[in-house]
Amino acid sequence: MAMHPLYQINNLKYRYGQHFELDVPDLTIEQGSSIGFAGSNGSGKSTLLRLLAFIDLPEEGDIRFDGALVAKNNGGSKRDVTMLLQEPYLLKRSVFENVAFGLKVRNDRKDIKSRVYGAMELVGMFPGEFARRRWHELSGGEAQRIALASRLILRPKVLILDEPTASVDQQSARLIKEAIIECRSRFGMSLIIASHDRVWLNSATDMVKRMHEGRIVGTGAENVLSGPWNDEGNGLYAKRLADGQTLFVTKPPQVTAAGVVNPSDIVISVFEPDGISTRNILHGIVTHMTMERDSGDILIEVDAGGLSLLSRLTPSAVQGLQLVPGKEVWALFKASAVDWY
Amino acid sequence: MDYIAQGFIRSIELLLSGDHETYSAIFTTLRISSLSIIASLIIGIPFGFLLGYFEFPGKRQVRAVVDTLLALPTVVVGLFVYAFISRRGPCGELGILFTISGIAVAQTILITPIVISLTATAVESLDRRLRATLVALGARGRQILITSLMEARYAVLVAAVTAYGRAISEVGISMMIGGNIKWHTRTITTAIALETGKGDFAVGMALGIVLLTFALVVNSSLTLLKKRS
Repeated sequence: MAMHPLYQINNLKYRYGQHFELDVPDLTIEQGSSIGFAGSNGSGKSTLLRLLAFIDLPEEGDIRFDGALVAKNNGGSKRDVTMLLQEPYLLKRSVFENVAFGLKVRNDRKDIKSRVYGAMELVGMFPGEFARRRWHELSGGEAQRIALASRLILRPKVLILDEPTASVDQQSARLIKEAIIECRSRFGMSLIIASHDRVWLNSATDMVKRMHEGRIVGTGAENVLSGPWNDEGNGLYAKRLADGQTLFVTKPPQVTAAGVVNPSDIVISVFEPDGISTRNILHGIVTHMTMERDSGDILIEVDAGGLSLLSRLTPSAVQGLQLVPGKEVWALFKASAVDWY
Repeated sequence: MDYIAQGFIRSIELLLSGDHETYSAIFTTLRISSLSIIASLIIGIPFGFLLGYFEFPGKRQVRAVVDTLLALPTVVVGLFVYAFISRRGPCGELGILFTISGIAVAQTILITPIVISLTATAVESLDRRLRATLVALGARGRQILITSLMEARYAVLVAAVTAYGRAISEVGISMMIGGNIKWHTRTITTAIALETGKGDFAVGMALGIVLLTFALVVNSSLTLLKKRS
């Protein structure tokens, strides 16, 4: 399929209050692509997504969707895009009515019952059990999946998901991923997803862009390390983690600078290493594991004192170390492995 | 104390025997309060929605005026409406003084601020995610407004029930504008005032029981609706 640009963004700016500014000089998203945005809280992911979903309009710069400039009055194209909010809001009505709402506002009532049931099945919700339930009779994960079904039923050109797994259990996270991948392959919809869960994000998208302080700072599954850094002398700077461990870096451009570490530069050990030159030997626990779509390597997520680190290992290395979620490990990388923005 | 007990027994007899005078007051009350609540909802819900949903210059001042009108004394409303609809008043030719319509107009003035204020509060309290959700699902313009009002429906019903409770229990307007005319504009509250003054506790108590029953139904509905909203 020949790719063509669905979104073209030029010099996009959006401000929140006096401090935060989203600044995206140039971004193109191809039709049918699946793109993820990773970054810490306040990095601008949700703001960018709301602009891409036309919920907010840019203060400066422009967004072109399917070639047309996005403005207040071109409501037609806006219906090609739908967004699932981080905390889904279900209307105060039955599950069936929630899923059917988008079709009804489009006055598209043909085979509505079978379409609603189909959308519910797609997200693993059995219509016989859930269709008549009221909005408040669902768990967080169920509500999230019903909110997703109410978007999928619209078969939009673009489905935008903001932290879809933030407040759901693992089963719901898996079902959400399966549903969106299935819809993408069946209907050719484009996916734009923001998530803290980098392992899930890497498994659900083709490409992940990293955001920091309102800017897109890179592409790929890299680890973002942000300051403030304390000068330890000898060119070393340090940051204390929540559990008392210390993270070392070299030569940050400012004490508040953020940098990235390539997951391939992080080595995993199942024993505490001794007598090696690497400054960062961080004790942690494996929280997630997933296969990277392009490389076939395994991405291991390790939580070390609240810091989430991704390490890229070969399947044979994972097998050799007998890594499983919950296993204690040590993540090792040089202080000089950090590339600064 | 005997006369109170006897009055209570007699009041039950009056209610069970279908006493015409007693039931005339009950039905008159229901007619007037129904008219006034319908009128106040027609006026109050759209105004309340606009006041709660949109931002505009002077909104806080308008809100302050509406909230102040919540405490309108019934006799003050009665006084002003009387001045307007009495023969010498600017609306005297309507001829609605001492009629059910006249009482209903004055009660509408009394309870519309309640509907406006509580509807505005209900709309202001809507979840911040609602608008983004509706836009994301493709709702536009009027669809967003109507769905937003529907989302606040239980709280708007609370406004209606609160206003209805105020209408059926007020006495000042019914007395001043209705004139407490037997078989015509005598309501439960004016009848209680009259019969108590005459020393006929039985009729007063019978009507009091009915009024308390209404209050119980209204309050039970309020509790239920507040739970749902």
